[in-house]
Amino acid sequence: MVEIVIDEDACVGCGSCVDDCPNEVYQMNEEKAKTEVIKAEDCMACLSCHEICPSQAMEHQDIHVAKRLYIDRKVSDVLNKII
Amino acid sequence: MEMEEIRGTFKPELIPEETGGDIADYEEALHVLMKFVGSMSSALEQVSGRGANAIVYQAGKRMGHDAGKLMEKTDNLEKAMQELSEILGVEFYFEMWKPSDQEGYTIEKGDETIVKLLFMDCVVRQTLRRTGLPQKGPLCYLLYGYMVGAVEEVMSIKGKLDIDHVGPNACLKTLTIKWGGK
Ligand code: SF4
Ligand code: SF4
Repeated sequence: MVEIVIDEDACVGCGSCVDDCPNEVYQMNEEKAKTEVIKAEDCMACLSCHEICPSQAMEHQDIHVAKRLYIDRKVSDVLNKII
Repeated sequence: MEMEEIRGTFKPELIPEETGGDIADYEEALHVLMKFVGSMSSALEQVSGRGANAIVYQAGKRMGHDAGKLMEKTDNLEKAMQELSEILGVEFYFEMWKPSDQEGYTIEKGDETIVKLLFMDCVVRQTLRRTGLPQKGPLCYLLYGYMVGAVEEVMSIKGKLDIDHVGPNACLKTLTIKWGGK
């Protein structure tokens, strides 16, 4: 099963992940005004939530990481030198 | 850019011993190809609107039927999926998927069998992201068509593939097969 860790300090409670996740993995904890994981067993590691979260507050552990051959290594090398 | 030139005598139909190029050249070629395919897809969409999906779907389906002809016929869906994943190879790595409260991978509904497929690695997705294009566009339909064509050929059925969700790391699709032949 996918382990999802939420950084509560980073989460701004916008609820975007709750709305966007197709498998209802998250719900809002109204008291804390933070998201919480309620159904990690249904997570398919699509990582749409990573893309939508404004504060990069979640981490999915031990998942299949899709190949990213589209990343231009030359551009990345230049960026690495600058940053 | 420095280029290593290969010189030799060449006859028609001859495969040269050395074809040149190292892994970095292939990477560059892949990027060029991705850009080409990406812009072709977006131009097609611009010219033919939503009709682009149908055109590309048909092209994919034809390729799928051709690929399916090389596969062993079966009426076992799981076996067909396994054969398909061998044909599609590591660049289209997929597995059957089900929500935790569903017992098996397949659902029987009348004369239909439904199975969810999770595509984890996909060259189409990589191409789209390389070119900054959204997912679910014409290029995705090439893969859908291919899957449907291959399944139809291998199982002698009618098939349909719907997109449930697209993500940067995986996409979920529903494959519906209709028993009773084409
Ligand atoms: S990776 Fe996908 S399925 Fe998993 S929690 Fe995020 S949006 Fe939901
Ligand atoms: S999208 Fe990010 S910031 Fe918004 S609720 Fe979810 S984890 Fe918190």
